[in-house]
Amino acid sequence: MKQKILANAEIAAIVLIGFIALITGGWSVLILTVVAGALVGAAAPPNRAGVLRALIVGALTALIIVAVTFLHNAYITQLPKQDAIPVGALQPTTYGLALLLGIVVAVLVAALRAHPNKQRGRTGLLILVLFFAVIFPFFEQSVQLFWANAVIVSMIFTLQALGLNIVAGYAGLLDLGYVAFFAIGGYTIAFLNSPQFNLNVSFWLIIWIAAAAAALFGFILGAPVIPLRGDYLAIVTLGFGEIVPIVFKNLEAVKIHEPVTAIFAALFNKPEWVRCLVGCTEPVNITNGTQGITPIGRPELFGVKFMTGQYIPWYFLILAMLLLSVFFISRLRSSRIGRAWVAMREDELAATSMGVNIVRTKLTAFILGAMFSGFAGAFYGSYVSFISPDAFDFSISVIVLCMVILGGTGSITGVILGGLIIKMSDLLFLDKFQTVLGGVLQATIFQSVKSQAMTNFLESLFNASQYKLLLFGLILVLMMRFRPQGLVPSASEDAIT
Amino acid sequence: MLQVKDVHTYYGNIHALKGISLNVNQGEVVTLIGSNGAGKTTTLRTIQGLLRPRTGSITLNGEELTQVPAHLITTKGLSQSPEGRLIFTRMTVLENLEMGAFARSDKDGIQRDLERVFTTFPRLKERVKQRAGTLSGGEQQMLAMGRALMSNPKVLLLDEPSMGLAPILVEQIFDIIRELNQQGTTILLVEQNAQAALQVAHRAYVLETGKITISGDAKELLEDPRVIEAYLGL
Ligand SMILES: Nc1ncnc2c1ncn2[C@@H]1O[C@H](COP(=O)(O)OP(=O)(O)OP(=O)(O)O)[C@@H](O)[C@H]1O
Ligand SMILES: [Mg+2]
Repeated sequence: MKQKILANAEIAAIVLIGFIALITGGWSVLILTVVAGALVGAAAPPNRAGVLRALIVGALTALIIVAVTFLHNAYITQLPKQDAIPVGALQPTTYGLALLLGIVVAVLVAALRAHPNKQRGRTGLLILVLFFAVIFPFFEQSVQLFWANAVIVSMIFTLQALGLNIVAGYAGLLDLGYVAFFAIGGYTIAFLNSPQFNLNVSFWLIIWIAAAAAALFGFILGAPVIPLRGDYLAIVTLGFGEIVPIVFKNLEAVKIHEPVTAIFAALFNKPEWVRCLVGCTEPVNITNGTQGITPIGRPELFGVKFMTGQYIPWYFLILAMLLLSVFFISRLRSSRIGRAWVAMREDELAATSMGVNIVRTKLTAFILGAMFSGFAGAFYGSYVSFISPDAFDFSISVIVLCMVILGGTGSITGVILGGLIIKMSDLLFLDKFQTVLGGVLQATIFQSVKSQAMTNFLESLFNASQYKLLLFGLILVLMMRFRPQGLVPSASEDAIT
Repeated sequence: MLQVKDVHTYYGNIHALKGISLNVNQGEVVTLIGSNGAGKTTTLRTIQGLLRPRTGSITLNGEELTQVPAHLITTKGLSQSPEGRLIFTRMTVLENLEMGAFARSDKDGIQRDLERVFTTFPRLKERVKQRAGTLSGGEQQMLAMGRALMSNPKVLLLDEPSMGLAPILVEQIFDIIRELNQQGTTILLVEQNAQAALQVAHRAYVLETGKITISGDAKELLEDPRVIEAYLGL
């Protein structure tokens, strides 16, 4: 067999990150070379030859990214309708630094993975990741990259994806209405800390209430359905995911009659008999309907107030939550229930004979997943400070499922990667792509098109953001066809425990 | 010890077991032989609680098992090395063995049984950290048996432990069955390899399309012309 110079994964990483560099340009080059370096280092085999390989492939990758960024800064910024990027600040030294960082990170990651003492190697990797995670927001702010919001929302969604990974990845259950629990979490904080009911419960208490509320609904939904075989759970959760936002939408003018008197009143045609219970003088507005609830309370910690537009505290808060979740989930995985999940997914009959209670094991996973989603929902509500039913439509369930499948069902690293890729594309890269595409079209075709109507039509035809869901659907199909185990197969994590 | 009385099991409308009765006494190796599709696996699965009999009773030391939830059967003292082994391929050898003791909480007892499994199957001890899916067929069979032993069962159920193994390994597996029995394990052995099974067993039952047709002393069955013609192929 012919030896391939680059592995498929490396080519995919180079193409993807190269493309992002092409559409974002500017200072993002420093972030992109570091990310690419980390991926190249992680993809190399964990031995001496792997380190050498990481050096070569890392250098090549970083070079490509730097070259592409240069292309962007030199040409794409000249196109009409582009965002103004402070390119002037980008000196040749910046490119050199990006190149160097990419190579160093690639080699460092590969070397740490090849470290003879596995425990130490892993600690080293963790420190490296944390180092970049900590400096990222300060760098982002000082060069005005405007990525912070997208990164924070992506991390909230990744928190959700980690929860869905327990349900779909560990227990093998298909939950198509995962957004419902996210909505329950979001509305919990909206009820308990907003002008809606004039309540002001502490944020730190609410996140647990939100998680508990979502878990309770998970139990109510899962307990009767999970013992049934087959696809019932998928259908029921699909319905639940649709119903929950509609219920929140409609609870804006609630008036409840006492049912017995209502029946007699109808029978004897005497409307004055009806006794009213709730909302008699004026219907009660619980959720404020499609208008939604705003503003929602913000946390406060050690005197630091979390506010709109001040991203750094939020970033660190959610980063901490993410790390805590990863720690919790990996502990869970090597615990008794984690073993039961792995055994059950391999063979339910064999697991049963060992003493695993299949129904209870699945239900636990389902409830834990719901809990994570509720937790993430509370963060989301507080962060955007605005909750409405539209924020929780079916597409969110699909996107989160997409994150899990793209990253690798059952793999924590994979799901984090998938979550960040998908949500960052959703919030940032697709729009950037749209801007660049718009510029290119303006400079080429649109110049020759005279009619305004035609231009409008073409503009909307080439609107990438419109194709978002199509794109995510396509990713799902392609992954299922060509790499069903995801970007980071979970098998690579099993051996750890 | 283990008593199966007039058990009828169905797969939907298919009447797979048509009134099976058998018993296994303390310290015995009893074998259940029969051709493909006779219902041997179905019998073991019914005993294990994985299938529910429509009528009939299954008792272990007098305790009725047919109403016990499937995942609790192992705590009553039954465990099985299933047909096709069904080891957990993504777990290591050690993790598989630990799964065998999933329902137990007596740490000392588990440790003792782990040592015992390693003495019986030294090959497994050499490979504790290896992913079970990468074991050879013979090693996987040993792992399935070792995993079943980890629950310290009163009766060990073995479903075709020699399936798909080279002759030399088959011999080794039967030696181990004999050895386990000499150490005091009671065994119900399902086999296609009637010759070898009848040689290790004390008593035997012959199963044909869901019914027991012949039963008796294993040595006598080895000489029974009906058995010789149908199952020993001499
Ligand atoms: N899940 C099932 N659904 C329907 N019929 C089944 C099922 N499993 C087994 N059967 C049928 O029940 C009968 C007994 O099967 P069983 O697996 O118990 O046979 P066996 O004696 O173990 O055969 P073998 O020696 O080939 O393993 C067969 O006719 C088989 O087709
Ligand atoms: Mg069988």
